[in-house]
Amino acid sequence: MTTSLKKLVTAVSASVALMGAGHAAADIQIGIAGPMTGPVAQYGDMQFSGARMAIERINANGGVMGEKLVAVEYDDVCDPKQAVTVANRLVNDGVRYVIGHLCSSSTQPASDIYEDEGILMVTPASTSPEITERGYELIFRTIGLDSMQGPVAGNYIASQNPKRVAVIHDKQQYGEGIATAVRDTLKDKGIEIAMFEGVTAGDKDFSSLVTKLKQADVDYVYFGGYHPELGLILRQARQANLNAKFMGPEGVGNKDINTIAGEASEGLLVTLPPSFDEKAENQSLVQAFEAKGEDPSGPFVLTSYAAVQLVADGIEAAKSKDPFDVAAALRSGSFETPIGTVQYDKAGDMKSFEFVVYEWHSDGSKTPVN
Amino acid sequence: MQDLLYFSQQLINGLTIGSAYALIAIGYTMVYGIIGMINFAHGEIYMIGAYTALIAITGLTALGLAWLPLILVVALLCAMLVSSSMGWAVERVAYRPVRGRHRLIPLISAIGMSIFLQNYVHLAQGSRNVGFPALIEGGFNFSADGAFEMSLSYMQITIFVTTLICMTVLSLFISRSRTGRACRAVSQDLGMASLLGIDTNRIISATFIIGAALAAVAGLLLGMYYGSIDPLFGFIAGLKAFTAAVLGGIGSIPGAMLGGLILGVAESMTSGYLSGEYKDVVSFGLLILILLFKPTGLLGKPEVEKI
Repeated sequence: MTTSLKKLVTAVSASVALMGAGHAAADIQIGIAGPMTGPVAQYGDMQFSGARMAIERINANGGVMGEKLVAVEYDDVCDPKQAVTVANRLVNDGVRYVIGHLCSSSTQPASDIYEDEGILMVTPASTSPEITERGYELIFRTIGLDSMQGPVAGNYIASQNPKRVAVIHDKQQYGEGIATAVRDTLKDKGIEIAMFEGVTAGDKDFSSLVTKLKQADVDYVYFGGYHPELGLILRQARQANLNAKFMGPEGVGNKDINTIAGEASEGLLVTLPPSFDEKAENQSLVQAFEAKGEDPSGPFVLTSYAAVQLVADGIEAAKSKDPFDVAAALRSGSFETPIGTVQYDKAGDMKSFEFVVYEWHSDGSKTPVN
Repeated sequence: MQDLLYFSQQLINGLTIGSAYALIAIGYTMVYGIIGMINFAHGEIYMIGAYTALIAITGLTALGLAWLPLILVVALLCAMLVSSSMGWAVERVAYRPVRGRHRLIPLISAIGMSIFLQNYVHLAQGSRNVGFPALIEGGFNFSADGAFEMSLSYMQITIFVTTLICMTVLSLFISRSRTGRACRAVSQDLGMASLLGIDTNRIISATFIIGAALAAVAGLLLGMYYGSIDPLFGFIAGLKAFTAAVLGGIGSIPGAMLGGLILGVAESMTSGYLSGEYKDVVSFGLLILILLFKPTGLLGKPEVEKI
């Protein structure tokens, strides 16, 4: 028993080692780093699904400079500490291009390592402005910034002439960043902010917060954070008869919020990247996703697809596999992707990116507002 | 009047959550009282109770059962059964073999067990938040002049009443029954109790089973109250319940009840009058203060040095 088990283990590890060696020889490794498990794994699914599809399609079209792309996947659980471990493993594995990470608080510490080690990173989802504020050369994104998303949300709330607004956040880099942007926009418009307060991510009991919101008599509540907390706030607010309109960023806009909040998620307002999957030019791609039984409508599926494609196009344009050359090519060129024409500024942000206000429904569908 | 209603609402919120903390805290305090170890896997037992209850509720609803009390009772029994066997098994596998060694060894074993159970549920049930159906809806509303409305939901009443029943039954069991008497004897002196013919292994198993069953009750109640569960939610609840147990005096059952209620009210008052950000600061700050000025907790007995 023990010997046969040992043999099996040896055989498996030997074949894994062989596989690894095979990749390193001729292929271009693309690291995909994001949450496969943990509370926001749903977003990770979108990221992995989009990136895998891009790699598949690029390889089917002959690869990049005659070489195949190979996905190497890493789970960071959306935890800053694990993101650093993942980044170091990527360095050790000799990967030179990363699609990820997803949560801003993971992307930030991981990007320090990538920049130091000469690895090109494209995040399909992290919207915190600080990530590209540090003058790094190798850090890019295929999504807009909170400083663009916050004002969209703030302006929308202001246009509804609210009496009093509460702004809540989860004290994390992403949530607090965007909540601050919303608060500042609202203040500039002269709207009264009744409350600006943090909750603890992972907390389950929001009854005190809901009571406080009732007492403050607010008619709009903006929440900066992710769906597990907002889902519970919505549900507990409904049970306590709080009549206020809720709004959140793209971190709350996925179908898991319906399983948590149920009916209470009806009418929630969400700012999301536009539905790239509804664009006419993306229909063949959408069909390819559907043929695999995957859903391309998630906000990060096509941004991840575009991230892989940009790395591939960047390598082709630079005619070099050196991440610094690829970064220079990305900054100087203009690229056609499923999320539109991408041009980068010096910081590594897209020159234009649009956020749209959607109304969320309790069956998981969404309709654009106005 | 307005302020009074607001205060009462926060008090109700705090007492609700506090009574659930108390239910979980019983498990910590009983185990500590008897074998002097901290069962760090207890939060996970509570989480498994919540998952079992959810599975039972989903199954029963799928079978077409519609009578709510029956669904709840069956779900509760399933949760208690699974959690108790889990509690028993954990003691048997991870604690009994290392009992009597250096006190760090069972502690590390408990932390290992906690990580194991968490990851097991991750694998078996997925890592996402799962919605828990709100079976008990509605409640009473009170308002003075229309502006602020205080609400006391049926769910909150259910939590108070169930906790009260569990605590009463437990107190009677400990003070009146034969096993309860044996429990008290073992907690006073394990060696002596075994010399006097008490099967100490059986009593220790019984404490784990009782603690786990109460945690399962809390799992079902809080699952319904919050509305969603995930494999990590036992950890924080466990930490809070542990704090409650220490606050009240670890080893003391009335202490665990008192500690839970104080902690719950302190948390909700902090969120209500200060800011939700300070909730954990206040509850763990309270723990440090108690440990500094009354290390045995509010109702704990001072340890007498045995010669």
